[in-house]
Amino acid sequence: MWAMIVKEFRQLRRDRRTLAMMIVLPVLLLVVLGYAASFDVKTVMVAVAGPQSGLAAGLLKAPSFDITQSAPGRGRAWAQDQLRDSHDEMAVVTGGTRPLVLIDGSQLFAARAALTDLAGVRYHVGFTGTRPSSVSPKVVILYNPGLTTSDIMIPGLCGVVLVFVGTIITSLGVVRERQSGTLEQLAVMPLRPRDVFLGKIVPYFLVATVDLAIVLAVGIAIFGVPFRGSPATFALGALLFLFVTLGIGVLISSVSQNQGQAIQLAMMTLLPQVLLSGLIFPLTSIAAGVRWIAYFLPLTYFNEISRGVMLRAEPIAALWQPFVFLAVLGAVVVTGATLRFRGYLAPAGHRRGGGTAAPVPQEAGI
Amino acid sequence: MTALASCAGATKRFGDFTAVGDVHLAVRPGEIVGLLGANGAGKTTLIRMLLGLTATSAGRVELFGEPPSRQTRSRLGYVPQGLGLYDDMTPVENMQFSAAVFGSGTAASLPEGIGEYATELVGSLPLGVQRRVAFAQALAHRPDLLILDEPTSGVDPLGRARLWETIADAADGGAGVLVTTHYMEEAQECGRLVIMADGRVVAEGTAAQIVGSGQVVLVQAESWSAAFGALEGAGLQVALAGRSLRVPGADPAVVRLALGDMPATVRQVPATLEERFFELSSQRQQA
Amino acid sequence: MREPETGPAGTNWGATELYVSHGRTVALRGVSLAAPAGQVTAVVGGDGAGKTTLLRCLAGSLGPDSGTVRRPPKERSGYFPASSGIYEDLTVAENLDFRANGYGLPRKAGRDRAAEFLERAGLSGVAGRLAGHLSGGMRQKLAVIAAMLHRPDLLVLDEPTTGVDPVSRSGLWWLIARAAAEGCAVVLATTYLDEAERCTSVLVLDGGVALASGTPDQIVSAMPGALRAVPAKPAGDEAALSWRRAGRWRLWDPAGLADSAEHAAGRPPAGSANGAIVPDLQDAVTVAALARQSGVLTGGAA
Repeated sequence: MWAMIVKEFRQLRRDRRTLAMMIVLPVLLLVVLGYAASFDVKTVMVAVAGPQSGLAAGLLKAPSFDITQSAPGRGRAWAQDQLRDSHDEMAVVTGGTRPLVLIDGSQLFAARAALTDLAGVRYHVGFTGTRPSSVSPKVVILYNPGLTTSDIMIPGLCGVVLVFVGTIITSLGVVRERQSGTLEQLAVMPLRPRDVFLGKIVPYFLVATVDLAIVLAVGIAIFGVPFRGSPATFALGALLFLFVTLGIGVLISSVSQNQGQAIQLAMMTLLPQVLLSGLIFPLTSIAAGVRWIAYFLPLTYFNEISRGVMLRAEPIAALWQPFVFLAVLGAVVVTGATLRFRGYLAPAGHRRGGGTAAPVPQEAGI
Repeated sequence: MTALASCAGATKRFGDFTAVGDVHLAVRPGEIVGLLGANGAGKTTLIRMLLGLTATSAGRVELFGEPPSRQTRSRLGYVPQGLGLYDDMTPVENMQFSAAVFGSGTAASLPEGIGEYATELVGSLPLGVQRRVAFAQALAHRPDLLILDEPTSGVDPLGRARLWETIADAADGGAGVLVTTHYMEEAQECGRLVIMADGRVVAEGTAAQIVGSGQVVLVQAESWSAAFGALEGAGLQVALAGRSLRVPGADPAVVRLALGDMPATVRQVPATLEERFFELSSQRQQA
Repeated sequence: MREPETGPAGTNWGATELYVSHGRTVALRGVSLAAPAGQVTAVVGGDGAGKTTLLRCLAGSLGPDSGTVRRPPKERSGYFPASSGIYEDLTVAENLDFRANGYGLPRKAGRDRAAEFLERAGLSGVAGRLAGHLSGGMRQKLAVIAAMLHRPDLLVLDEPTTGVDPVSRSGLWWLIARAAAEGCAVVLATTYLDEAERCTSVLVLDGGVALASGTPDQIVSAMPGALRAVPAKPAGDEAALSWRRAGRWRLWDPAGLADSAEHAAGRPPAGSANGAIVPDLQDAVTVAALARQSGVLTGGAA
């Protein structure tokens, strides 16, 4: 038995990927659970509008509230847009008989925090005129009035499905060719590298689209998740995101020798995205020292798009940041993947002095 | 001399399918027995029965005079087709592991010429070197019986000769060797051959005995491809050999007739072991 | 990617003076090969000799560092790579369909040809079986059929018969003979010398270098030195020049005079009393490898 133990250790020492996983994963989980995993939103971002903006701002004290914008000349419509375009999580509109507090229900945990913190605000007399009054605000929760979890999870799930199919299944599909040795056969057939690359990607593209459609259909029909925004915007966002994840899948397969390795690497890209992209734990409650990681993860941006479009009907103009990021990342990843793929299919060393010559005419008979 | 390994009426059935049927076989000390057969002829199943990995459905299988068991394993040296080495360890580490498992104390030293590869991973070594390491590992605990499954597949002729010297040395030292191979030229290295087809033994003896007086028809034509077509058209089995054609199991007159007016010489020549083997295997299939 | 130009039928495909290195390892050093149409040319050598590298250059999946390769364009070449190139999770029929499609064969023609080959090779009963569930010999046969389905001008087969039992091997050889009969130039890598003996010409590789080439007879008669039977394994320096075959030891004498006339006639030389052996291809190849290994330089190979 001792011999087996020694042998396993020796093999493990050399298996870098498994070692990396065994070391990196616990560290990652530690970081996440320590710094990131929190549903507590310490500070709610607020916009104030209307004539008594200053007074309202005075009542909403830090650290519970952070007044990011103050627009005395603006009204409800403007305040609502700030929520819709995810500039703020709460807005106060003054100037009516009662101040109006709008809370973004699609930011579930921030909304809950806002409600709790509001209860602690003491409303003074004297908003208008001479009569002392104590007027509590009217609170309206927009976009997810019931503060249900499924309404925000289902849009997030859309992203997870796309990451899953895009990264994991694509990396397996391409690596299978390498592992079985058939890649070399493809290289000598009269197929263009482009044909092979696209031919391999398209089926997964279609599968991902069908999956997405199913998730949306079930979410809307059975869970009652709303789809308030523009389907075209959503589709464009999904398309760009899919390019990114498919490209990452092909890249993973190009550095993996077999399916086991591909899955390991794919898992290592999936896990951080699920934990740190704002899917489960709100971005704002992740400690700043760790939050920067989220801004490199594609899923973070797609979550913004899917939640924004489905729940808040966010227009594409307001979503320019995620779109641009995904577009740029998509271009980089797909280019990289194509180049690596082409390297397999074109014969190596072609440029180095060796060449092919027209056959020499031979006298008849050998 | 008691046999080191013996089968008496050994049979193995999987449902309706008989993988090994009524096989009698014995390997005695100092003998090299070659086991030949098509894939699916039952060689692998038979070996598994000898190793004790598969139970018999009928008949007896004995290793060192008793049914195969964990105790008898330590007197056995086995090199499977896949060599049984760990690709991600060095030869030294592999042999240490094997020595520890077989309880043979310190690992035997690596054979000469392998020293330079001692610290490289087995997976990156050339095949010939890997095979020599596998052999050394199997021989390290001085087994009385060696079972080798295609031990020289893929190795160059000189390398094969060297590997066979190792096998012969073991046999000279008193071990019994059971070897399976697809190389006809290696059949000559075995003292005795056993040919299996369809789970049964169809021939046994030395290579010369098995070939006996088998003959084939040799056709040398000016245009071999035309002759090929003509013979095929007549329903004859034809094999290409250089620029000549060989037609097993046919009458020279029939062949001449099939060729018609084509300029060609037709005569009978002795069959090769391979042709005889092929004949035996296909006869069994038709039976 | 440059494509070579096609030539007329009977054109001399092959390679000249190839040098290929992978990192620090030199895989091929100045190797040339001629692959005439309608003939089967064998490349013999053990693992690591450079057979696969040479065949990959011929098939076009690897470019040499220097030297020239004369091969037909992709759609006129067929290749059986070391790993067979067959999809194990597709059926036999689906594999052949993919290949026919990829090479632009018209559907019916491809299907008919596939059916004929499958039948002659004994595979017609398994057309619907997954390739991964075929035995090794059957899978190799399928791979050869797939490589020659589109009637290529050059067929490159990397060890199609290694590990295959002799019964399946004869089926494979039927396919190879058929390809050659159709005018194809067949290049075959093998470790079996009896197969090499059946080919029109043979190239023997060892460690990336050509040890011998020519017809089997030429290689044998060009063997330098002479062979003698000796009663037991020699000691000292001679040990490296001897080997055991069929229970007896043979010793190679590099300086020994081979009586070439007697050689050619296949008769043992006059001095057979001293145990002279008439060499065959296996001996000639072994001697060539020994010569290289022991550094004994002889003129030698054809």
